Parts: sequence; structure tokens; C-alpha cells
Amino acid sequence: MNIGILGAGLIGRLTALQLSNDHQVTLFDADDEQATQSAAYLAAAMLAPIAESVETSHTLMQMGQRSQLLWPQLLAQLNAPVFFQQAGSLILAFEQDSGNLQDFARHLKGIEGEDFMRIDSTRLAELEPELAAQSKPFKHLLYLPHEGQLDNRQLLKALQSTLQARGVTWHAQTPAEIRDGQVWANGQLHAFDRIIDCRGLGGKTQIPSPSRLRGVRGEVLRLYAPEVILNRPVRLMHPRYPIYIAPKENHHFVVGATQIESEDSREPTVRSALELLSACFSVHKGFAEAEILQIASGLRPALGDNEPKIWVNNKVIQINGLFRHGYLLAPVMVEQCVALVNGKTDDLPQYPNLIETL
Amino acid sequence: MSAAKPLNIYGTELNSRLLVGSALYPSPQVMQDSIKASGAQIVTLSLSRQNPQANGGASFWEMIQSLGLHLLPNTAGCHSSKEAVNMAKMSRELFQTDWVKLELVGDDYNLQPDPIELVKTTEILLNDGFKVLPYCTDDLVIARHLIELGCKVIMPWGSPIGTGKGLLNPYALQAIRDRFPEVTLIVDSGIGKPSHAIQALEMGVDAILLNTAIAHAHQPVKMAQAFAKAIEAGRLAYEAGPMSERSTASPSTPTLDQPFWHQVNVG
Repeated sequence: MNIGILGAGLIGRLTALQLSNDHQVTLFDADDEQATQSAAYLAAAMLAPIAESVETSHTLMQMGQRSQLLWPQLLAQLNAPVFFQQAGSLILAFEQDSGNLQDFARHLKGIEGEDFMRIDSTRLAELEPELAAQSKPFKHLLYLPHEGQLDNRQLLKALQSTLQARGVTWHAQTPAEIRDGQVWANGQLHAFDRIIDCRGLGGKTQIPSPSRLRGVRGEVLRLYAPEVILNRPVRLMHPRYPIYIAPKENHHFVVGATQIESEDSREPTVRSALELLSACFSVHKGFAEAEILQIASGLRPALGDNEPKIWVNNKVIQINGLFRHGYLLAPVMVEQCVALVNGKTDDLPQYPNLIETL
Repeated sequence: MSAAKPLNIYGTELNSRLLVGSALYPSPQVMQDSIKASGAQIVTLSLSRQNPQANGGASFWEMIQSLGLHLLPNTAGCHSSKEAVNMAKMSRELFQTDWVKLELVGDDYNLQPDPIELVKTTEILLNDGFKVLPYCTDDLVIARHLIELGCKVIMPWGSPIGTGKGLLNPYALQAIRDRFPEVTLIVDSGIGKPSHAIQALEMGVDAILLNTAIAHAHQPVKMAQAFAKAIEAGRLAYEAGPMSERSTASPSTPTLDQPFWHQVNVG
């Protein structure tokens, strides 16, 4: 089939990867090839179905767990290595926020002892010796052994080079829209057998009932901290939203994100920068001399229930609303989308309310 | 039974005695469902951090506005009089209401209201035509200052915001109730469980404002229903007039099989 994909963020690229073996694929993207304007570029790329289950449905947790199994198969197809880790995550709370940690543990949908466990300072010293050696070590701790993460920018780049090596046509910096069942771009209509729309907020006006989609602001920090060694992501309890400190390769850290109910697209604010920076410094004093590589803001596309959706309307498939769960859910979303294209959905897990046929 | 007395907010009469916040829910959908389940007729909302100058929160506000309830904008996160006045004015313009929940943070960790700035700012806003619902501590004298300035509603805390500790000082709240029977008294913040709300209503508090207790419950919608029932029960109990406490037991039926000298309160 001849397939047109609108949007080359995370979902667009992965869908192109999975379809380009059997089909002719063309990508249209308003952004550049690095996807610098996308939510995917900014994200901390956490794969944390259990931690996120505190505020998500049971179904979403299961989708995240399946995605974790699918990621290695996706990464194996790429022509460049991508940092991928499944070493668990730690949840920390300051004394003042220990009540929040209690609530958090109570709301986790996994199984205690299997998906999450309370740990003491001896166990912390084994897992994260540098955290245990801080002057005021944390006393309130949870360990989620199955959580993971990956390096999103390595991934986006590897996807780009793999897709281009496969001969996928890529129209970068080319805004496109759906018109009369075709793709309108560069001042003309392009006909396809299937159109897949994964433009996130950029596709807001073209999804069914656009008012359901909103942007949720996030601010993210990228640091180089040669004095800090963390073996796995750390999530710090915060009265308003979770803050992750995710260690990538070579002492690079992604810290974030704020979560503000606003479509404000300004640069990051002082207050948010202070919150993120003080979170780092309070967890590990070695962040004092870290280099601030970037601080950036962006918007996550979210639907009313903060869970994603796939709409199928004849030959058009639209995927949107991945909110703060892009990397967590992308493999399952793409698996479902590809199965819809190939007409082979029977073999896959069914998730209630995920797919809406119009 | 006489018809239940409505809640009076600066002349607007409402049947529900529960005011709810719109923050901290797992999703806007859960927020909408919970607020509906609570039966609340007033929803508080905040502009803080949303860049209201550029209409940054519009999509989220629409989700709140679509509920069709009275909006009570707050000045959460403001530390100074100037900030709060600016935010109140911006809210009035955006939401077309002269109601404002005036919140001035005096301490960053427990978000205790700053009583000095509060009284000062209340006066400024009342003079500007606002109907001010001040979030205050349970200090009787501060309450008197606010009422003397012209506040028809005052909102002392039960305990600090988000703590869920309930009424830490029922004596102080009772004193405010008894001394100012004409003012609408709303306990704002610190309510964690429906039983806390019942306790307040039984004392004669007119209404409850809460957010975290519902938003952070395991099942927010169900908890919203629980609060709706508790508040109704507490109010009915207050109107019915609870019996007085006694220090010894008093059997409601005579215990015939006991000799009279073993029975208490005879005669």
C-alpha cells in the first residue's frame, strides 16, 4: 500500500518503521528532521507503567507493561545503538512529603513485593551508593524494579537514519493536513491508500471533537553532571507533580517535568527552573557544579481523561492524546495502528475505549 | 420539617454547602465527574502559573466552565498584596465574576495565610467592588477585622492546606461561629475525611471548601459522593439540634431485671 504519515514525532517515526518493510511510506512533518519542536524531543523518556499507574487506569498500566516488552524488538531494527535501560526506578520523599509517598504507595496498581517494595537504607546503599552517602539520606523510599527508560534523542536520530536508509520519503518542515481524504501539502493534494495522522497538538483541529484535546505545559532540564552517579531514574515526590531525575549515558541527566494546565508556550519560568534545580540539588549535592545544557518548555497533547485514542475513519487513522506517556505507550499504539492498516487486529490484546471507529 | 436554609454568598442563595477545588485530579475528566458527583454549586479555580495574560489555561478553564457552576477564582500562590490584587482583577475580567477567594501565603511550607496582608488586601478589593471570600486562620480578632471591613463570608482553615488533619482547633472555630452568627462561615482547607466535614457542619459552620480530600482519594468520584452525604448529614444534625453530652450513661429503657440501686440517674 501507499501510506502517508502526518507528523514525524515519536509515533510517526515508529509507525513508519513498522510499515516501511511492507509498504511505500511518505512522512510529512512541519518540524525539522531532529523533531526539535516535538514533545518527544523534550521528554525524559521514562518507561514507568507502575509509577504512572497512580493516576492512570489499569488498562493504561497494562499497555505500558506490554510496551516495555516491545521496545527491544523495535530498537533491534535500528541502524544505530540507543541507550535502553530496565534497572528499575526509585521513589524518594522528603520528611515533609512522606504523606504524599504513603498516598502514592496506596494508589499504585501493581503488586507489592513484586512490582514495588519499600526499602531501607541498607538496600539503598546497594542500589544507589551515592544517594545513601548524602549528608541527609532519604528515609522514605520505594523501589520499582521493573521500570525503565531510554535516550529519546538517540532514538529519534536512529529512527531518522534507519527510515532514510530504507528509502522512506521524508518531507521535513512541510506542514500538511487532511483534505478530502487526501494529504494537502506543498500547495497540492497527495493521494494515499491510507493516511495516518500523528501530529499531536498540530493536528488538533482535525481530530473528532477538537475541544477535547488540550496542551499541558511541561518544562525540562538537561544537565551534565560528572560528579553524580545514579544507576537508575529517581522520582522525587512533589506536592504538585512528579519530578524525575533520569540518568542517561556519560553523566547526562534529564530532569523534569513540570506539569501545568496551560497552553502557555513561553520559555521556562524562573519558578519552574528553581523547582527542578532545587530538586536535583536536594537529592545529590554533586549537582551543584553540573552544567546546565538546556532548559526548555513544551506542550503535551492530552485528552479529557489523559489517556490516548486511535480514531479510524475509513482510510484515515488518527492517533493522539499520549499526554506524558509517549514513550511508555508508543510501541502498543503503533502495534495497534499497524494491525489496523494490515487488517490483522484479531491476534492483538484488546484495550477498551482505545480504538474508536467513526 | 421546615425547608433547609440555603447557603448565602453575598446574596446568592445556594442549596449545596460544599465548595470544591479544581486542582490535583488525575485528569480533567475525573475532575468533572467528581465535581458533578459532589453536588457542589461553586468551583474554585486558580490562574497561577498558567500565563493568563496570554489565555494560557483557556482549554482547561473551558472544562471547568462547561459544568455550568458558579466560579470562585482564587489568588493561590500570591505572597503580596500587589500580586493578589492583580490576579483578582485578571480573574474578574476572564471569568466575569466579582467573587474572589483571597489567599495570601504567609509561610511557604504550610501555606499559612498572612493575616496582616490579608486584612490590608481585603480592604483594597472590597473598595474596588469585589465580593471577597478571605482564606484566614481561625483567629477571632482577624475574623472581626475582616467582618468590620464588610466581608459577608469568611473562610478560616480547619488545618493547613492539603494536610487532611481535620479541625485542629474546634474551640477557635466555635468561638468565631458564636461571636459572628450573621456571617457566612466556611471552613476552607484541612478537611481530609467526611467525618471532619460533619463535625464542622454540626458546630454550625455554614459550608466546607475542599479539594485534596476528593482529588487525592483512591476513587475521587466516590469520595465526592461521600462528602455530599456527610455535609447534608452534618447540616441536618445542626438544624435538628444535637442532644447535650452527659458524663454518665442514661438508659433509654428501664432495665427491669436490675435492682434499683444498680440503676443510674434514677429520678
